[in-house]
Amino acid sequence: MNLDQLLNQLLTALTSISLLLLISIGLAVIFGMMGIINLAHGEFLMLGAFATLAGVRVGLNIWLAMLLAPLLVGLFGLLVERLLIQFLYGRLADSMLATWGLSLIMVQAVVFIFGTTTQGIPTPLGNFSLGQYSVSWYSVVLILAALLLISVVFWVFKRTRYGLLARAAMQLPEMAMSLGINTRRLNALTFAFGSALAGAGGALLAPITGVVPGMGQAYIGRAFMNVIIAGPGVLTGTTAASGLLGTVEYTASYVSTPFIGQAALLIFAIVLIRFLPTGLSGRWGKQL
Amino acid sequence: MKFLLRKIPFEAKGLLVIAGVAFILTGLVEDYQATQWTVWVIYGLLALSLTLVWGKGGIFSLGQVAFFGIGGYAYGVVGVNLIHTTGESLSALVAAGLLAALFAAAQGFFMFYGNVGDVYIAVITLATTLVLYTFMLSTSGRQYAIGIAYLGGFNGMTNVPPLTLFNSFLSQRDLLLVTIIIAAAIAFVVRFLLRRPFGRVIAGLRTNELRTQLLGYDTRRYKLLLYMLGGGIAGLAGGFYAAWGQFISPTVFSLSQASLAVIYVLVGGRASLSGAFAGAILVEGLSTNLSKGGTEATPIVLGLVMILIVLLLPTGIAPALATLLKRIQIRGGKIETRGLSPLLEEKFLSKTIPTASAFRKNSGRLETVELRKTFGGLVAVANASLTFDSSGVYCLIGPNGAGKSTYFNLLIGRYKPTSGQALFAGKPLNRMPIFRRVQQGMGIKLQVVSIFTELSVFENMWLAAYAISRNSLWAEQQAGQLLERFGLLQYADEQAGTLAHGQQQWLEIGMVLAQEPSVIMLDEPTAGMTREETARTAELVRELGKQASVIVVEHDMEFVRLLDAPVTVFHQGQIFAKGRLEELRQNEDLQNIYLGRYRNVEVK
Repeated sequence: MNLDQLLNQLLTALTSISLLLLISIGLAVIFGMMGIINLAHGEFLMLGAFATLAGVRVGLNIWLAMLLAPLLVGLFGLLVERLLIQFLYGRLADSMLATWGLSLIMVQAVVFIFGTTTQGIPTPLGNFSLGQYSVSWYSVVLILAALLLISVVFWVFKRTRYGLLARAAMQLPEMAMSLGINTRRLNALTFAFGSALAGAGGALLAPITGVVPGMGQAYIGRAFMNVIIAGPGVLTGTTAASGLLGTVEYTASYVSTPFIGQAALLIFAIVLIRFLPTGLSGRWGKQL
Repeated sequence: MKFLLRKIPFEAKGLLVIAGVAFILTGLVEDYQATQWTVWVIYGLLALSLTLVWGKGGIFSLGQVAFFGIGGYAYGVVGVNLIHTTGESLSALVAAGLLAALFAAAQGFFMFYGNVGDVYIAVITLATTLVLYTFMLSTSGRQYAIGIAYLGGFNGMTNVPPLTLFNSFLSQRDLLLVTIIIAAAIAFVVRFLLRRPFGRVIAGLRTNELRTQLLGYDTRRYKLLLYMLGGGIAGLAGGFYAAWGQFISPTVFSLSQASLAVIYVLVGGRASLSGAFAGAILVEGLSTNLSKGGTEATPIVLGLVMILIVLLLPTGIAPALATLLKRIQIRGGKIETRGLSPLLEEKFLSKTIPTASAFRKNSGRLETVELRKTFGGLVAVANASLTFDSSGVYCLIGPNGAGKSTYFNLLIGRYKPTSGQALFAGKPLNRMPIFRRVQQGMGIKLQVVSIFTELSVFENMWLAAYAISRNSLWAEQQAGQLLERFGLLQYADEQAGTLAHGQQQWLEIGMVLAQEPSVIMLDEPTAGMTREETARTAELVRELGKQASVIVVEHDMEFVRLLDAPVTVFHQGQIFAKGRLEELRQNEDLQNIYLGRYRNVEVK
């Protein structure tokens, strides 16, 4: 294998790992910090993509549109938490069912507004050549964006007042409450933060996929498995799981087809869960 | 005549009635109605499978449509191949059910034997469905053929043969008749099964999985069997679906299809078998009427229904109505008074100890050799070597954090030791799961009351007795006897959760005794008891110690004094001292431990 071929493969593998991280980090924050699985996560991704699309349509610079999308989805998340999620804490099955209902409504609402035709944003930046291979600059952007989001999550939870309180509330909710921490407000903020991360993931997906109301469905299967394999560790677990599952998916896709790659990811994850029922980070304790 | 009728089980009578009604009905309906109703019944069958798995078994499977779709594709593939050779497609329907059950077995094995939590099960089942969806979309190439059947990718299989019976194709009306009869037959078989011991164990594990394991049931296997049964029923429904539309496509695996199955069950009530069909028909009828308007508002309405039911009527619409009716009836009813705690009744003890029977296991010596457990860097139990003879009472005491509870949990199998051995009658216990230890003759009562609060008092006792005998009749007798001895017979039909706290304690002790264990393990049995109750419990334990080995973890020194038994003191994970309580009282180090003067105490 030549050096350029090796580098090219490495870049492709890193891209699938980053993509996995981008589509699941928002879900992971909400699951890890609040113990809630947001079944509408795919639709939060979709919302981020449509926000970017709408931004570009009204003439915004694409990067600016991508920056605004997470803010919008974050605000939407805040609304959802106040109107729906806050009544369902401690009712795991019910919170999943309610967010599922929400996802049905969101898909159809977007159909009403934007229609069902596939719309796209041209992939920005073009290509560069790596030996005999032509590589998209945008895949480099995806890798950098994944690193950036990890840093943002790390910074928010480790360096801000909110992050400290949120981690305290995650580890011992009753204690946090008896210390006078307003866990209600904290939960709302965490849900909004996770939603914003999902919005960022969706925004970054917009240029490389067909933007359609049902697009969430194509991603959430993998996002769910990634979060399950990650376990309770939001950062460490999700990064490790993305690395592992991304490599599995990439390898299987390389030797066959992308669809087989996705199936391989799932089967690998189900077999792995038999031996690590609490995920990769399950044994590390409740750490970030 | 009346006598004959009584001998036929309710299920068979019900099936006959439904078949009769269906026969008349299908003679009257229009073809287009028959077509529509058939698919409603098929969806009802799908909902039934979810009710069984989720409502009855507590397995939160969000991807029940995966089995429905697999059944549909199985019917399509087998049917296409068969119809040209044998000219029939009925066996394709059987294949649909079997293949789906097989798939459920494979998936369920990893979930249940991995001890995966509820959220994870929900997510894994849903993710499986989504991956099947993506995978099926990719099967448009000519290479995706099984025999002469092409999977067809996005377009699906368009040449699925209709169902045959006696080598001729069924008309739409006949298909409706066959679907109704088979769906009803399955529903009645499920109902029958749930009343058998299998169903009682399933109800037990839904209510309190840990207690079910502590009674000696292999809950993983029961869950797997139930999940396979549910998968098979969903697969059969999928087979019917493919035969009905002569078509199957990846959309059966889509999220919206998956959500429909859940919505049927939510509307019909999570645990109601007939509700499954009611829910499916109600929701499908509503959707049909909604889409008549032209605009596609159905998903929004369904999403709202889902949210509203979860927020306002978590038990489902039909059961909520039933509760309302009951509440109106009960208003003005009498308040029941509870009797004295039975342990305080005269001559209680002499009647309490069960006589040995055929199901009593050979008693043997329980011993641990250098048993050690560490959590991270913390040594919770350090190399504990102890021997318990086949009869007699043994006390384990020590201050909080001394390691006695960890040691207890190592003995019953909730923790795996870091190193060392535990042996029971010479057999190594280390890799033995809880339920198998119980089958070997251990009876376990944990500190917190752990009973099946949603089941009747009798069913609680019955589950305990059945676990060791696997004999329904013997279990009934045993349960009846123990309930009588513990003065609980009058509450036999009431929900165990409505008993007073003390009575729940006796019920649980009774459940342990119903298993006639040769080693009885009690973790702080007197927690929350009055002095008098404590004294009675001590008498009971001493009496039990004549026939079996009783290991008691206890805080309460008064209770330990009453037991008058050899005592082992744990301190900082070590066995600190052994002996009679009177001897130990002289030990100054021990006094220091209990008075908190830790600084002076060196562990030897």
